[in-house]
Amino acid sequence: MTPTDTLRAQFTDEIAAARTDRDLKAIRDRYLGRKGGAIAALMKTLASAPAEERPALGQAINALKREIEAALDARAAALAATARPAGAVDVTLPGRVPPIGGLHPLTQLRTRIEAIFARQGYEILSGPETEDDWHNFEALNMPPDHPARDMQDTLYLSAPWNRSVPPVGSAARSDAVSAPSDAHDVGSPKKAARSGGASAPPDTRPATLLRTHTSAMQIRYMETHRPPVRVIAPGRVYRRDNLDLTHTPMFQQVEGLVVGEHVTMGDLKGTIIGFLRELFAPDIPVVFRPSFFPYTEPSADVFIGCQQCRGAGCAMCKRTGFIEVLGCGMVHPAVFEAVGYDPKAVTGFAFGVGIERLALLMYGVEDIRLFYENDLRFLEQFPL
Amino acid sequence: MKVLVSWLRELVDVPVPPATLARDLHMAGFEVASVEPVGDDAVIDFEITANRPDCLGLLGLAREVATRYQTSLKAPALAELGAADAIAAGPLRVTVEDTERCPRYCAAIADVTVGPSPDWLARRLTAAGVRAISNIVDVTNYVLLETGHPLHAFDLAKLAGSELRIRTARPAETLTTLDGVQRKLATDMLVIADRDRPQALGGVMGGADSEVTDETTTIVLESAWFLPGSIRRTSRRLGLSTEASYRFERGADLEMASTALARACALIEQIGAGKVRMGWVDARASKREPVRIAFDLAQVRRVLGLEVEPAEVRRILEGLGFGVDGEAPTLQVTVPSWRVDVSRDVDLVEEIARHHGYDRLPPTFPALTAPPPPPDRRLEIDRAVRRLATGLGFSEAVTFSFISERTAREFVPAGPLVAITNPLSESFAVLRPTLAAGLLDAVAHNRRHGRRDVRLFELGTRFLPDGGENRSFAWAWTGAAVPDHWSARARPIDFFDASGVVQGIASALGLSISLRAAERPFLVPGRSAEILAANGNGAIVSGFVGQLRPELADARDIPAQDAVFVAEIDLDAVDDLVTLLDLPRTRALPRFPSIVRDISILVDDTLLAADVRGTIQSAAPPTLVRAFEFDRYQGKGIPEGKVSLSYRLTFQAPDRTLTDAEADAATGAIVDALAAAHGAVRR
Repeated sequence: MTPTDTLRAQFTDEIAAARTDRDLKAIRDRYLGRKGGAIAALMKTLASAPAEERPALGQAINALKREIEAALDARAAALAATARPAGAVDVTLPGRVPPIGGLHPLTQLRTRIEAIFARQGYEILSGPETEDDWHNFEALNMPPDHPARDMQDTLYLSAPWNRSVPPVGSAARSDAVSAPSDAHDVGSPKKAARSGGASAPPDTRPATLLRTHTSAMQIRYMETHRPPVRVIAPGRVYRRDNLDLTHTPMFQQVEGLVVGEHVTMGDLKGTIIGFLRELFAPDIPVVFRPSFFPYTEPSADVFIGCQQCRGAGCAMCKRTGFIEVLGCGMVHPAVFEAVGYDPKAVTGFAFGVGIERLALLMYGVEDIRLFYENDLRFLEQFPL
Repeated sequence: MKVLVSWLRELVDVPVPPATLARDLHMAGFEVASVEPVGDDAVIDFEITANRPDCLGLLGLAREVATRYQTSLKAPALAELGAADAIAAGPLRVTVEDTERCPRYCAAIADVTVGPSPDWLARRLTAAGVRAISNIVDVTNYVLLETGHPLHAFDLAKLAGSELRIRTARPAETLTTLDGVQRKLATDMLVIADRDRPQALGGVMGGADSEVTDETTTIVLESAWFLPGSIRRTSRRLGLSTEASYRFERGADLEMASTALARACALIEQIGAGKVRMGWVDARASKREPVRIAFDLAQVRRVLGLEVEPAEVRRILEGLGFGVDGEAPTLQVTVPSWRVDVSRDVDLVEEIARHHGYDRLPPTFPALTAPPPPPDRRLEIDRAVRRLATGLGFSEAVTFSFISERTAREFVPAGPLVAITNPLSESFAVLRPTLAAGLLDAVAHNRRHGRRDVRLFELGTRFLPDGGENRSFAWAWTGAAVPDHWSARARPIDFFDASGVVQGIASALGLSISLRAAERPFLVPGRSAEILAANGNGAIVSGFVGQLRPELADARDIPAQDAVFVAEIDLDAVDDLVTLLDLPRTRALPRFPSIVRDISILVDDTLLAADVRGTIQSAAPPTLVRAFEFDRYQGKGIPEGKVSLSYRLTFQAPDRTLTDAEADAATGAIVDALAAAHGAVRR
């Protein structure tokens, strides 16, 4: 191995280890320095070499010198290319993330449901959570001592509560309050002025119970509005149920009501199928089965194909392949009579769905209590 | 209602296997809870809805089967009872004193030998979930399951005077029922008494004294009809629900009373339990006319949106036992006595829909015949508030509307609360007067699970005894205002983070609010404020913001050093003041430059910032467009009891460039006013 080869090998190692401009400067001085540089030192050995070897040796040294210069320049350019500009920061450090909150999953689902119906022209109502017996039961064809009252175990207030309730729903539409012809008299609300809606006086009947369903709101709406009716009544409802995996004493419902001169059970079916397919899946099986509610006739329970087992039968659907999601039916004539509508002139459908129940199914939640614990580790699993 | 299929087959031809039967009846409105195979037989457990008491017996379900499969009913054997009398049968005398609560009372007498039932009968009862007791009791239960009609057997020897009086209880009367419980009777409860005292709680439960025992030799078999509301009230009041009361309160079949009696008598003889005496009692207030409905077939189409052939309508109705006369389009329909749920045409429509099949209804959509109303302003505001709160880092909580009274008292120490009379637990006893209570529990829950920084809000109803239901927005916040970061330690929140959130949300809603120091029993004094919302002629108190008292946090295991701030805003109170939803009217952008002047003044440190701001506003010319408090300093160089306030004043005119002289003059006037009003000294 010649001295130039030795020096080249040494240089190759050193330059590979160079990380900074300062490293390069030190290498440059060590190899190319006019005094004391390794190349200069090698040049000095030239004088003592045999004359015939000198030209070749001189060429070899010069070649090495050019190689070193080129390598140093290349390395300097490479380092310059990767060097950080003045004031540079490490962009991979975590930034200061502003906290962003999310909507509660029940609100998210409720909003979705409301949006589906709002798009179809439904008015979204809000109404009182404490109610009187009339709005919660009697007007819904559940007179005192009716066995159907057992279906909804009620929480009662300790004493009648005098509070004033503004009319439910917007002011009645001008086109709806214009006097209809006799042939098409669809009945008129009996509890309030014909103009109805927001112009009706507040209701001061004392509350005696916590509403067991949002149907109470629909009664209030019909009392102050003439048909046609197309409303959604979402909100909290209360039952005397113990808190466990699948029950709570408070939950949220969305109920719908459509009343008009030509509303049929077929319309109910189409509306419900459309709603459930939009909510769950476009191809989900939807089955209607006869059922009983005091305020609808005919009544139906609605089932969807179990999403878990695709109808094969699993624990979630109790091996039936179907899961009950909703109750509905054609508004009972007694309900129309209670609010002053003429059941010979109008028909209507109503439906009710529990938001928690849907949420359990859709989100795969196994314990309904999670919705009320407000544990951020749970809430943050839902999109913001 | 547990149905042994082989037993059902005695009453109707069932052309399908049990599993198919279960599925088909399920789809006709009889929810199947379970199907249990028993050899080649099966027990199907149906859940019968409250409107169908007729199907609380096999006969009712048999009619459904006959209609579903177009097969025939098979009538069970009945005994010949001889002539009926309104009052007496042999030694027995029956007096119905309360014909409203008991419009029909039938009774027969049999001489019996009490003993065990034959195996086949006991097995059937067991399959249906009823315990076999003795042949006589078993026969009454058998008939109950078969016909749906409850019966009762008395030991004739135990009836004083051989008499039965159907009357309401007398004051202070008691009765020991078959379950051995002595019950105090109210005067509106119907009893079956002998000459001296009650022997049964009519339609609910028999009495222990006249119970059929091994020694009984002669029985009185009762088959009656009781008023549903009366039975229900009695059953509820005594907390005593029985197979009999369950059926009577839903409505038994008035005509079935005599049939069930004859059926029971036939069985007693069939199983060799005794011999029935000829002659029976049928005490009946009046003959009830069946319900007749003029049924316009157009109703089917009107309600269902589906044309059903008149022949199909007739087939279904007749199959279910309805009488059908006349021709389409209007049928005269007679409702059978057992269908207590049917009284109007729409009830018939349901029968047709049920048996024609809900799956055949065409899915259609209701026509929109009126323009949809505008969205509810309150819901729009709610949506905006939710959006703002989440944008500020708060997550939405949903907490229960009821809380414990103890918790409520932490927030509202005195005065009325809206309470629940039958809460399931003390923690759900009163309706919340504030949303802060539930949020605080939610904060504590998260704190316990290792979360230091918690921001939660809720939007919902609070219940103010004197103010009614009230839509409220509240939040709770603990932990860092600026979270922990590699560049700096976290900064814990203070009052101004809290008030800033309130001001930010108010500003986004277009509400003009101010804060005023005010105490609340649950907030730290000196760190709590009322939120005042400006309306046309002043301001209304519409909420609070402040630091929660540490003892309240401590009681919920939140470390005492962690400040929790809470705020609540009465949305109902500010709805009309919110301008967010108004159509914005824009102003032209300023075309001329502004001039800025900084002033620093020395004032008493008790002087409120709001007062300084007020003085500046009133002394300034209209060209003052902004006054910004940019520094507040106490300490070195500032005398004790004083504070240095620095304001940046921005002047701007819409129509010209202001001169320095104008700005200086305005600043001078402001400083003079501050000196005059507050003794301020310019530094």
